[in-house]
Amino acid sequence: MELNLAAIIFVAILANNILLHQFLGVCPYMGVTKRIETSVGMGMAVIFVMTIAAIITWVIYNFLLVPFDLGYLRTIAFILVISSLVQLVEIVLKKTNPTLFRALGIYLPLITTNCAILGVAILNVQADHNIIQTIVYGIAAAIGFTIALVIMAGIRERLDLVNMSSMLQGAGVTLITAGLISMAFMGFSGIMTL
Amino acid sequence: MRDSLKMALTLLVIGAVCGGLLSVVNAITQPIIEKRSIEDLREAMGDFFPEMDAVEEREIDGEMYYEIFDAGGDFIGVVGEVTASGYGDEPIRYNLAVDSDGEVVGLRIDSHTETPGIGDIIEKEDFQSDIIGLSFDDPIALDQDVDTVSGATVTMRGMVSSIRRVVDTIGMEFLGLEVEVVEIDPADVDDGTYTGTGSGFADDVTVEVTVSGGEITDIVVVEHNDTQSYFEQAEAEMPGRIIEAQSLEVDTVTDATASSEGIIEAVNDALN
Amino acid sequence: MTTISQVFTKGIIAENPVFRLLLGLCPVLAVTMTAINGFGMGIAALFVLLCSNIVVSLIRGVVPPRVRIPAFILIIATFVTIVDLVLNAFAPGLHEALGIFIPLIVVNCMIMGRAEAFARKNTVGRSIVDALGMGIGFTLALTVLGIVREILGMGTAFGVDITGAAFEPMALFASPPGAFIALGILLLVFNLIIKRLGFE
Repeated sequence: MELNLAAIIFVAILANNILLHQFLGVCPYMGVTKRIETSVGMGMAVIFVMTIAAIITWVIYNFLLVPFDLGYLRTIAFILVISSLVQLVEIVLKKTNPTLFRALGIYLPLITTNCAILGVAILNVQADHNIIQTIVYGIAAAIGFTIALVIMAGIRERLDLVNMSSMLQGAGVTLITAGLISMAFMGFSGIMTL
Repeated sequence: MRDSLKMALTLLVIGAVCGGLLSVVNAITQPIIEKRSIEDLREAMGDFFPEMDAVEEREIDGEMYYEIFDAGGDFIGVVGEVTASGYGDEPIRYNLAVDSDGEVVGLRIDSHTETPGIGDIIEKEDFQSDIIGLSFDDPIALDQDVDTVSGATVTMRGMVSSIRRVVDTIGMEFLGLEVEVVEIDPADVDDGTYTGTGSGFADDVTVEVTVSGGEITDIVVVEHNDTQSYFEQAEAEMPGRIIEAQSLEVDTVTDATASSEGIIEAVNDALN
Repeated sequence: MTTISQVFTKGIIAENPVFRLLLGLCPVLAVTMTAINGFGMGIAALFVLLCSNIVVSLIRGVVPPRVRIPAFILIIATFVTIVDLVLNAFAPGLHEALGIFIPLIVVNCMIMGRAEAFARKNTVGRSIVDALGMGIGFTLALTVLGIVREILGMGTAFGVDITGAAFEPMALFASPPGAFIALGILLLVFNLIIKRLGFE
């Protein structure tokens, strides 16, 4: 069945948000959402890397692994590509665009272990996306990730000022808040389907 | 220099060992995985048709249909591996078994992302027993022979109209049955604009038909829920064909069969 | 030098990877709709952790420090693929339920973290104990969360009806938001227990 690009974008950003609905990338979600500034930085870095990673892994899978019947090497190939890609981006950015590097640099090493990147790469090949759908899905998923990150950071900045039990502070309340945001995002399901 | 050589060499050795190990594991597991998925399929088919002996595959509009034959080589039924669009983000995947008389004998939901506790009603006994036993000649429509469950309307509507479509496809493609289109002579219809619905690929198709001077002069699609890229092919061709022929006995658009038939059915409904 | 029993128990309580260190939360939230899936995921991760800890510990001193990270990634990815293939062949139901989270064990920070922080500096024996402690702690956390969600969301535990007909299951806990909320509340409970028992 042919997939509608608008539906891919809508579902990836809102209805099926990669973080709030599919639970990919929860570690940075807990880690970098203390301040809006850092969460925007992380979001930008993810959009950048996720899009490139989605394209490269798609090419490798369809032109290298599938023709040689090496589908079972998918996980190992993807994670190697992603970690080398992150290193490469780091080096290239440092040399060519120091401003951008200063903005994104500290988030890059964290991205290798962000399962959203590997997750999107795998979802793309599992869903048999073509290259256009792959790019669109990569960007949309990353935007959805960023939105979830920024909303959370906005709430957590306020939560810091609230008086609450030390048992709940930090991770506990963050998770419960995430649950409430996720519930709100559930309202988007059913509007458009793939 | 010696250092980087050593680094490269270490990684190479580790990579080679890992690759070798994986190819061994893969060689062992691959045949088991393949054998199992074939067995799973046979088992699923066998549940519907215990006397199954041979299976033949056929793809129609991007979905797989399996023709089932018994030990004597007689055709006993068809199982469709099909999808319906419901409320969830992913389509509902299910198997529908129809026997050679056009009667639904089995329904198995493969996967769905409907809301737990609401949309998963389709997996429940009540819904399944509503569906099983219906046949090609029944309406197979909500509130007629299938009960609507409040709160799960979207799921139910998607599922029931999909079942109607699959039963139609199986009936026409495998059993040689015809959808009963009562041929209407536009000359017998009073001038005016009529609305009617038919079932397309995913859901109902609604059209407005204008009749003037005993001729169909205009057909406009008011609403549909089919995949746009397919439906627009049907929408571009079908009204023109029907108006030109002044009849519903027109060819459907290849690749958009279900949507085309939905339009024909809707026009027929409008004129009745 | 910590004793061998301390190496084992710290992973289960004081440094529980899920409740205390918040490592590898993605699968924790995603697959715990039922207790059995949570348990299966825990065992799969435990297996990968155990194997990777053993191998990393075996090759310590052989691998030049500067390429240790790619080497660890290779080793972990290999075991993850083995788990993926074996589950697909012998436990297809579980394989389908865990889905994409099996290959994603590769980026579970817990496994990389133990390789980096423990196995590459310790003997094979101690690394095995460390992996068992951490892996069991992870499995326990997943199973507990799975049981809680399954009881609240479906009224069953490991597929057995335990609440009876009088209890109306709360579908929320079977859905994604319920995962976040249930884990948040469990963290609170775990923190309270730790404090009462005086582990810190």
